[in-house]
Order: sequence, then structure tokens, then C-alpha cells
Amino acid sequence: MNFDLSDDQRAAAAGAREFFTDSVPLSAARAALDGGGVPAPGRKALADIGFLGITVPESAGGAGGSVLDLAVVAEQAGAVLAGPSLVTAARAAVLLEGAPDLAAQLADGSAAIAVLDGPVTGSAPSIDAADATVFLGLDGGALVVGEGEVTPGRPLDATRGLARVRLTSRRVLAEDAGALWERARQVAAVVLAAEDLGAADRAVLMGVGYARQREAFGRLIGSYQAVKHMLVDAWVGVDQLRSLVWWAAWAADSAPDELPLAASAAKAYAAEVSERAAETVVQVHGGIGFTWEHDAHLYWRRAKTDRLLLGDAAEHLDAVARLAVAGALG
Amino acid sequence: MDFDDTPEEASYRAHVRSVLTDRAADLLHVAPGEPVDARSREAELRATQRVLAEAGLVGVTWPREYGGQGGTLVQQAIVAQELARARVPTLINHIGIGMCGPTVIAHGGDDQRSRYLARLLRADDVWCQLFSEPASGSDLAALRTSAVRDGEDWVVNGQKVWTTLAHVSDFGILLTRTDPGKPKHAGLTMFVVDMHAPGVTVRPLRQMSGGSDFNEVFFDDVRIPDAERLGEPGEGWRVALTTLMNERVAIGGAGGDIGQSAEALAAHARERLPGLDPEPQVLARQAVGRALVASLATRYTGYRRFTTLSQGGVPGPEASAGKLGGTAAARLVADAGVRLLGDDAVLGATADGDDTWQRAQAYVPGIAIAGGTDQVLRNILGERVLGLPPEPRTDKTAPFSSGGRR
Repeated sequence: MNFDLSDDQRAAAAGAREFFTDSVPLSAARAALDGGGVPAPGRKALADIGFLGITVPESAGGAGGSVLDLAVVAEQAGAVLAGPSLVTAARAAVLLEGAPDLAAQLADGSAAIAVLDGPVTGSAPSIDAADATVFLGLDGGALVVGEGEVTPGRPLDATRGLARVRLTSRRVLAEDAGALWERARQVAAVVLAAEDLGAADRAVLMGVGYARQREAFGRLIGSYQAVKHMLVDAWVGVDQLRSLVWWAAWAADSAPDELPLAASAAKAYAAEVSERAAETVVQVHGGIGFTWEHDAHLYWRRAKTDRLLLGDAAEHLDAVARLAVAGALG
Repeated sequence: MDFDDTPEEASYRAHVRSVLTDRAADLLHVAPGEPVDARSREAELRATQRVLAEAGLVGVTWPREYGGQGGTLVQQAIVAQELARARVPTLINHIGIGMCGPTVIAHGGDDQRSRYLARLLRADDVWCQLFSEPASGSDLAALRTSAVRDGEDWVVNGQKVWTTLAHVSDFGILLTRTDPGKPKHAGLTMFVVDMHAPGVTVRPLRQMSGGSDFNEVFFDDVRIPDAERLGEPGEGWRVALTTLMNERVAIGGAGGDIGQSAEALAAHARERLPGLDPEPQVLARQAVGRALVASLATRYTGYRRFTTLSQGGVPGPEASAGKLGGTAAARLVADAGVRLLGDDAVLGATADGDDTWQRAQAYVPGIAIAGGTDQVLRNILGERVLGLPPEPRTDKTAPFSSGGRR
């Protein structure tokens, strides 16, 4: 057994961490929320460094990498609340397996692609749709691509670029695409869980850092077990989430039969873990953590949004139970 | 990344499997989850371990010079997996193999090693670990059992508790206070004690779950020769840390399940879900899903730790997270299992007498206490992994006899 990243994946994670740290100030997430900016680093920068094409085949201009390769980068993107999401890149790369031209445009960023959840005649709020111009959707079992009328609502987390879309044109890319669509959604759930992992990890570290310097009643607050144990529980969740994300990403590449259960397990756990981490970081900071200018609420917003995207915990827990009962654990 | 055996591991696994098949007639087998009472099945359990020892499957990671196989933690895990697969119960001397023996190896004299270790591996002697006391559980260093030097002997008085297997044990490693004038950690000394010596009284404890896995052990003027000391007088805490570190390896969770497995819950759900009304069925499925996710999260985290070990890493304090996660998962798994019983959930067993899930449920509170309470584990993780400051303490420097306070 070797349940660990490869040296290449570790190096990729370190490189991604540097890229995102340099190109995404947290102030960008707040500015986008204030209506004064767009998510950083933005689609072009992500395309230029190759992150939008990690799982796009080399023949279509991508890197031909694995979902796990993408997940380790997505974790770093999540840590700084980067946008647009690598969830879209991962999901579209699966959907465009039979459309290399569009896949190439996804990878090089020349097409601003988003994937729609719900009916194409009026979608649910969908990730990165707010500034997209090309939309992929499922229409009567067929995979379609088209242009659309975009209606962003007031954002809870502006880095997610959520918008409702009504397709105004549509072209069929593949008939009977239900299975493909489902697999793409599972891969997307894994990558969303990876971004949540990065965000939750960063939130916990932020709380730990504060607990190591803030004093109350003559002591550092991190010495109080009430505070310490809250942070530990959040950290243990993050540590365990990393294991599920790796497993699910590995399954996407190497054990397709395990993907549905693993993806749902990772997504359900991510919802719970990132929410707990975000609520913990606010609580540990006390009053300052409840202010607009503090970064804690940016992680809280991400958690409260992501937990419901691509299926909430109830949906995925139900899927895990159904799959296990049907024999998916062997 | 992969979850497969290497060719070497696969061939070792095949070897283990063939031994377990060839010697099946000489081994005790039990149903999954079936409780095994050490007292009533002592002879079979000892015989089973002896057969396995002769086949080289006991003390896999122990050095060869002490009767072990000089093998790896991976091989040890493979043996454990194959024993579970073959439904051979936990070795009767698991405390001895995992904790007492390694402590004797690290701190015992050559004479002790040659007298004890080979017999321990064959279960000729069963061992127990005499650490906890009524007034020192999590705060182990507060223990009061005293050992006073008298000529070539030490005279021991006091009481131990929660001693797994003491009622079938021949020897134990015993942590005592030899110098109450020193601070609590500095005045301790470790011994090997003969459990059949005059003055040793063992009384089984009955747990809230109904079974009796633990004992209280009383020492009344028990004489221990100085030659049975492990480490120097006053060095007992350091010796005990060797034992506890080995305990961490033993229960830190290298992918093994604490309590009922995810597969067992899935099988139970397959059988029971259809019998529930539609609305409770939805809720039960949520509980099952949540428990399975927690169980799998712990399992795959164990695989990560295990990979670290197999690459030559040493188990660190983060192993405490494995137990914490495992306990949380065991709680959810047991609860989901009980919920699935429908009306029978309020009874101690189903109509056909099956109490698998009720038993699992009643065992959970013990899991959250034994081998490090959830709260102590959180302190360890908070301080040693996250770097949070410790609680201020007044008991570390004052003489123990002063009550630990300045």
C-alpha cells in the first residue's frame, strides 16, 4: 500500500501554493463581495499557468493529468478562496471528452465555460456562471452547449461566481449523456471537497495562530481546553477529510467502481468539516472574528455556500448508504 | 498511490494465509464480533497463540534475538488482517506482545529477556500491564502504589485497576512509586511482577456492557526481587513512556476498525432497512450514511499513517487523531446499528437473542476512555501537533508527598 502523494504531486502542490499565495490576496474576496472586484486570480491567470487544463488530454492542449493531480492544486486554490473554481475545469473536462475543440478552449481559457445545475431553461445558481459565456447543461438526457442569459443574485460568497442561467441557444454535444453527466458531477464533487479541504485547513490554522497569541484572564486562550479542544476537533476533521479527498480522487482515476461512494463520502464530509472549521475560526477570534474587515467570515461564507453546492450532505449521505447497502463496500 | 500489496507483501500474505489454512484445525475460530471470554477459553487461546508462534506469526516486528521475526510493521499488519479474515480471535497475549515485551526488551536485563520473552511469545506466560489506579487514570504519574526497598527485595502495597487480562496473567509490568519525596514523574520505578506471588489478589470488574475484560489488582506486602526491576530506580516514567509509545503503535489505528466495521454496518442495513417504515427508513439511511463516512474517513486516515510507517516513519502524536476519529466513528456506527433494529432497539437483544449492536453501543463509552480519554487525546493533539500552549500546572515540580501543590 502506498497511500501518499508522489514527489511530483508534492512539488505541484508546493508550486500551486506559491502561485495562489502570490496572486490571490484575501482582500480580493472581500472586494468582490463589496461589488468592487472580480475573483482572483481570474480565468486567464489560471489558464496561463495550466491549471484549467490539468485533466484535459494532451491532444486537446491540456496536461493529461489525473484528478488527483488536480485535487492537490485545488486544495491550494481553496486555501486562499481563489476563483474561478477548479471544480468547473474538472467537470467540464469530463463532459468535453468527446469535444476536443471545446476542451482546448477550456484549457487555454479562450472560452469562459460554466456547467449548469438544474434545467437549462432556468438553472439553479451554478458555479462560475456569472462571468461565463459558454454553458454546458443536461437537456432531456443530452449534453448540450449554448449561450445564455445570466442572472447573478446577491452573493453570499462572491468568489464562487454563482448565477442562474437560461440557455438562449443550444447544440447537442452527446445524446444519452446521463452516465457521463453523473460521472462529471462526481468528479466535480471531489474537486469541490478538495477546495473545501484547503479552505478548512487554512481556517483552522488561522484560529490556531490567534489562540497562540491572544491573552485573556492572564493566559493565552489556546491554553484553555474549551478553546483547544474546539480547534483540535476542527483539525481532526480536516486531517480525515484529506484522506477521503485523496481516496476519492484516486478512485476517479484508478477505481471507477469506487468513485460514486468515495465522491459522496468526500463531499458529505467536506460540507461538515468546512462548516465546523469556519464556525470555529470565527468563535476563537471572538468579537473581532465577527467583523467585516476580518478574514474569518470569508471562510465562513465559502463554507456556508459550498456545503449546499453539488448536493448537500443529506443527499450524499443517502447516496453513501444506498451504495453501501447495494454492495459497494464489497 | 495505490492500495495493493507489493510483490513482497503479496508473497508474505500468501504465506500467512497458507499457515492459517494448514493449521486451521489447531486454531480457535470465532464469529465476527463474537465476544471471547479469556477465562473460559484460556486453554484454547493459549494453544492458538502457541501454534501461531511456532509458525513465526507472533512477535513479527520483534528482533530475532528475542524470538521475534525481525519483520516490518507492514508484515505485522498483514498478519493481523489475515487473522481477522480467518476469524482467529485477538491473541491472548496481545498486551504482552504489544506493550510488556517491548518494554522488557528496551529496559530489562539479559537475564530477564532470556527468562521471559520466548515464553511470552508462545503464551506459556500471559502478561498484563499494571499502570492505572483508582486515583490515577489519565493522570498516570499521580499513582500511589508504593514499593519500598527491603534488602534484596522491594515490598509493594497498593491497588491497580482496569488491568486487562490480569485474571489470566502470569506476569505483569508494574509501575510503582519509590520516592514520594520527589516530584510525581521523578519518583517512579518499574518492575516485573509475578502475578502468582503471595499478596497479589485479582478481582474481575464487571463493565457497564456486562462483560469482564478488566480487573482490579491488590498488592499486599508483595515482595519483588530487585533483579526484576526494569530500568533504574526513579526512571519508571521513562520506562512507562516506552510502553505507552508501543501502545500507540498497537491502537493508533493503521486502518483497522475500532468497534464494528463499515462492512458490518452495511450488511446489517441491507437486512434491516427494508423492514422499517418509509419515513424512519429515510432517517435511518442518513444515520447509516453518516456513520459509514466517519468510519471510512478514519480507515483511510489510518492508511496514510500506515504508509508513513511503512516508509520508515515513527508514530507521532498525530496517531492520537486516529483513536479520536475511530471512537467518534464507533459511536456513530453503533448508534446507526441500533437504530436499524426498530422496536428491538429499546431491548438488550433482538427476539432471537442477538445482541451484536446493543453490545457495540454499550461498549462505546469505554472506547472513549481506554487508552487515552478523548479529552487527554485532544490535549496531546492541541499541544504537540497544533502547538497550542499547555494549561498551567502546579503538580510537575512539587514533591509528590506534598500533594502536588506548592
